Amino acid sequence: MDISSVIDSLHPLEIKVLLTMGARRPAVAFKSEDLAVAAELEPSQLSMAVEWLLAKALIEIQSEIVTPVVSLTKIGEEYHQTAAPIERILAAARDAAGTGKRLTIGDLQTQPGLDPSDVSKAVGRLKKEGALLIIQGGCIETTGRPSPTADALRPLLEEVHGSSRELTSFSPERQQLIEDYSVKRGNAKEPFRVDERVTRSFVLSPSGASAVQQLMNQGVVEEVSQLSPELLKDGSWRQKRFRKYTISLRAPRVGTGKKHPYREFLDTVKAKLVSMGFQEMRGALVETEFWNMDALFMPQFHPARDIHDVYFVKQPTHAAMADESILSKVGQVHEHGGKTGSSGWGYAFDLQRAKRLVLRSQGTAVSARTLAASPNIPGKYFSIARCFRYDQVDATHATDFFQVEGIVLGEDINFRTLLGLLNLFAHEVAQAKEVKFLPAYFPFTEPSVELHVRHPRLGWMELGGAGLFRPEVTVPLGVTAPVIAWGLGLDRMAMVALGIHDIRELFTDNLELIRTTRGLF
Amino acid sequence: MPTITIFKDDFESLLKGTRATHRTVSIAQVEEWLMLVKGELKGHNPDTGELRIELQDSNRPDLWCCEGIARQIRIKQQGKIAQYPFLTGKTKPKAKIVVKPGMEQVRPYVAACAARGYQVTSQGLAQLIQTQEKLAEIFGHKRKTVSIGIYQLSKITFPVTYELVQPGEARFTPLGMETVMTLAEMLMVHPKGVEYGGILAGASRVPILRDAANQPLSFPPIINSREVGEVQVGDDQLFVEVTGTDLPMVVLTLNIFAANLADRGATIEPILVEYPTRTSLGKRVITPQDLKKSKTIPIHTIEQALGQELGIKVVQHALEVYGYEVSAGKGSVLVKLPPYRQDLMHTMDVVEDVAMSCGYGEFTPVMPAQFTVGGLSRIEQVSDRARELMVGLGFQEIISNILGSPEQYSGHMRIDETEWGQTVKVDNVMTLNFSCLRQWILPSLLRIEAASSRAFYPHRLFEAGDVAIPDATHEAGSRTETVLGAVIAHAAAHFSEIHSCLDTLFYYLGKEYRLEPVPHPSFLEGRAGRVLVADKPIGVIGEVHPEVLERWQIAMPVVAFDLNLSQLIS
Repeated sequence: MDISSVIDSLHPLEIKVLLTMGARRPAVAFKSEDLAVAAELEPSQLSMAVEWLLAKALIEIQSEIVTPVVSLTKIGEEYHQTAAPIERILAAARDAAGTGKRLTIGDLQTQPGLDPSDVSKAVGRLKKEGALLIIQGGCIETTGRPSPTADALRPLLEEVHGSSRELTSFSPERQQLIEDYSVKRGNAKEPFRVDERVTRSFVLSPSGASAVQQLMNQGVVEEVSQLSPELLKDGSWRQKRFRKYTISLRAPRVGTGKKHPYREFLDTVKAKLVSMGFQEMRGALVETEFWNMDALFMPQFHPARDIHDVYFVKQPTHAAMADESILSKVGQVHEHGGKTGSSGWGYAFDLQRAKRLVLRSQGTAVSARTLAASPNIPGKYFSIARCFRYDQVDATHATDFFQVEGIVLGEDINFRTLLGLLNLFAHEVAQAKEVKFLPAYFPFTEPSVELHVRHPRLGWMELGGAGLFRPEVTVPLGVTAPVIAWGLGLDRMAMVALGIHDIRELFTDNLELIRTTRGLF
Repeated sequence: MPTITIFKDDFESLLKGTRATHRTVSIAQVEEWLMLVKGELKGHNPDTGELRIELQDSNRPDLWCCEGIARQIRIKQQGKIAQYPFLTGKTKPKAKIVVKPGMEQVRPYVAACAARGYQVTSQGLAQLIQTQEKLAEIFGHKRKTVSIGIYQLSKITFPVTYELVQPGEARFTPLGMETVMTLAEMLMVHPKGVEYGGILAGASRVPILRDAANQPLSFPPIINSREVGEVQVGDDQLFVEVTGTDLPMVVLTLNIFAANLADRGATIEPILVEYPTRTSLGKRVITPQDLKKSKTIPIHTIEQALGQELGIKVVQHALEVYGYEVSAGKGSVLVKLPPYRQDLMHTMDVVEDVAMSCGYGEFTPVMPAQFTVGGLSRIEQVSDRARELMVGLGFQEIISNILGSPEQYSGHMRIDETEWGQTVKVDNVMTLNFSCLRQWILPSLLRIEAASSRAFYPHRLFEAGDVAIPDATHEAGSRTETVLGAVIAHAAAHFSEIHSCLDTLFYYLGKEYRLEPVPHPSFLEGRAGRVLVADKPIGVIGEVHPEVLERWQIAMPVVAFDLNLSQLIS
């Protein structure tokens, strides 16, 4: 064992005990109580220090002596105050002889504080000693002879009262008497108790002796708990000893600054998209039906435009759009296809309806605005847009949520490059190596694809949807190059990463949950 | 996107046509085939043989039924298109429907046919009813554009008349009722009258179908007569009618029903509809009728869109086994949709069908190769920087709903009637809890405070997110802006503590600011300030008013700031 590292770990109480033991030359064994006195420690402090030192094998037990010790029980203290049953009965019998009254065992049993077992035990002993006689009718008479028990009991109670005594300090007769009147199993009502007192004596072990040697060589060092600027300033830290801590204890919690785990997830997606060459688009929370749906070739009678699907704005109800030219261009496409080569939906387009204000219900609205604002060709765009749906809120439906989506424009865009882009998303966003492309339907794309991937942890899942924007969408907005529209459904991935099962918890108000969610992506 | 329930053995027998022997198919096989129809298997009950299937394509109502799904797969399997002889125009109609003048004001069009020789099974009846409901509800816009009635043919004497009556005049026992009632009573009492009566709102006279014996067949689009219009298992002579406001949709719907019944073995007898005036299909219209939607498409266009050279033969074959009639020309194909489809608006619709018929798996993905530069918007960059700084200052980030209640965003904040309290409100409110957009961030953070008194203190929270600020000068009546809000809550939370954070933030954002006292009802008077940058107010800071805290039931002092990042950089 490395003595110096042991020394460093010593508590001040341990040092005190070691130095006390080491100070006596030649070495002697110390009894615990002597050691407590010599080291000037409370018994409780000493016993702690001794246990620690034993555990470190710096001291050893030299001997262990077991001594029987006598003390008074609570009943013994009562007998000492008043009188023992045997004394009371003898006195009563003598009293009766003096007055000539008859005294029966029954009379004795009715006296307060004397119960039948006390009475029969005492009477039996007095009769055996010849101090009493029992005559006909259960009457008790004194013989006039003394009772050695009764005579010895009183001084014994006096001697043991107040402090305990070693059993062996009494004469063999008295030891026997104590034995007869002490608490034993099945006999709790007795005046004496005999306990075993263990007296241990300790000596320094060889390593303890060398520890003492080293401690003495070091000289007495003051221990401090905390380094302070003062100690550093005057260099006095050199004369101090820094107490070692129990570093295995649980650390107290600390409040920390931290990003929200869901936002962190979206940040990683954002960084991925930028790294793949996508430019961010921003849009407004309040949109016209025109940008939200009409521009996306969703007919005005489309079921998803119902008041049960979209939130309408109360005031103002309609946008004040100064330039209606783009509205009528899109309107013509709805009506008869315009110049797109389409037959259109064949209904009367309502310009007023197009200006109706809604809460943005799909991120594609942002893409539509980008298409109309002379985008780069080739160009890649994305947005992480907050959208709103008229839905009953439950574990899988939120009333406002993020949509991650965007567009890719380029002369080289076609169905196969669309699949290539989705492949890229599968690898980069979901770390998936296996993908499946399924036919899908969106009002604004043709052909349309659903992207299914085998996620390393989640298994097969739908990662997103995409397609080539219909010419009915792009042409009236001024874009003739082919355009991919894509969207990623990431909430399920986010929920698994955050360990939650209810979509509402993405926006939870539970601070403890937010603080303790790790969010590993 | 309808979801339908079909029976597996019914589906299997339809797959093989009426003559071939029945063969059991695996669920995995069904799932693979469903790709052809944009269908997804949502459930399978092995005990009853029921399959729940979601159909995605809202322009393909012919696929919203067991017969249509089986037909699309069968054509591909057998490599030849389904033939419907009743559409060739060679069958002379034996029966007639006369449309009386005035219908054009209410519900102008009707189409009908008879079907003989298919004895209705219980599974077949369930499918018939399901198709009727899905088509009327989703394709027919809740029966407004299209509704369907099916009857026992044997009880009808032709010609049938489609005309208008006073709602109090005509009477019959409707389906689901025990007694005779007038049409007016049906509108008031019958569940379907209550549900769909709105379609006829404003019409003083309403549609009725009656036969030559003046027996009412139905009150379209509300309810059939119980006498004639209750089809039962075992019936083998049916009459199907479709009424509506859009003639092509009405005819298409009837075509779908006729094809479905023909697929089940019925012989379809066309019916002549006589209109008082000319319609887009003429005055005398025979239904069902193939509307022959067709288009000439250059092969080059298809190949370019798909990114793959296919050649005319491949394209022709792919479309034929998908149900098209195709005639190949020089470098182009003339394609005609089958009679149960009308969804050809643009060449791209055909392109997708080519891809689906070939299978998406046949196209090798290619990476878009052109170089583009990625990047974030200016406001996102500033917002990200501010978020980093707030985290460094020891704040926990929060993310909240934007849609909330005026009570949270203004009422609790004591700013109801002030310039700060205006919000963008929802017209069609579902619940008050989601009835307006937030105009600042602070209430979103107090929402967390109110719920988190057990989380150990101090609390330092922030959120950077979008808000909508009403602005009459803006086209949409509001501006969407990005705002940063922050709160500190603990027993000794103090103005100077949040002020230090704001000050640090501004230092690192590289902006000069000053505070000007402001009497803002959300904050303690004398402990609140407007944040000014170049004399433009862009935020507030202060100790949150105890009454605000009481309204939120927050029992801890809170200090806060709310800073408009969009305004900061504008």
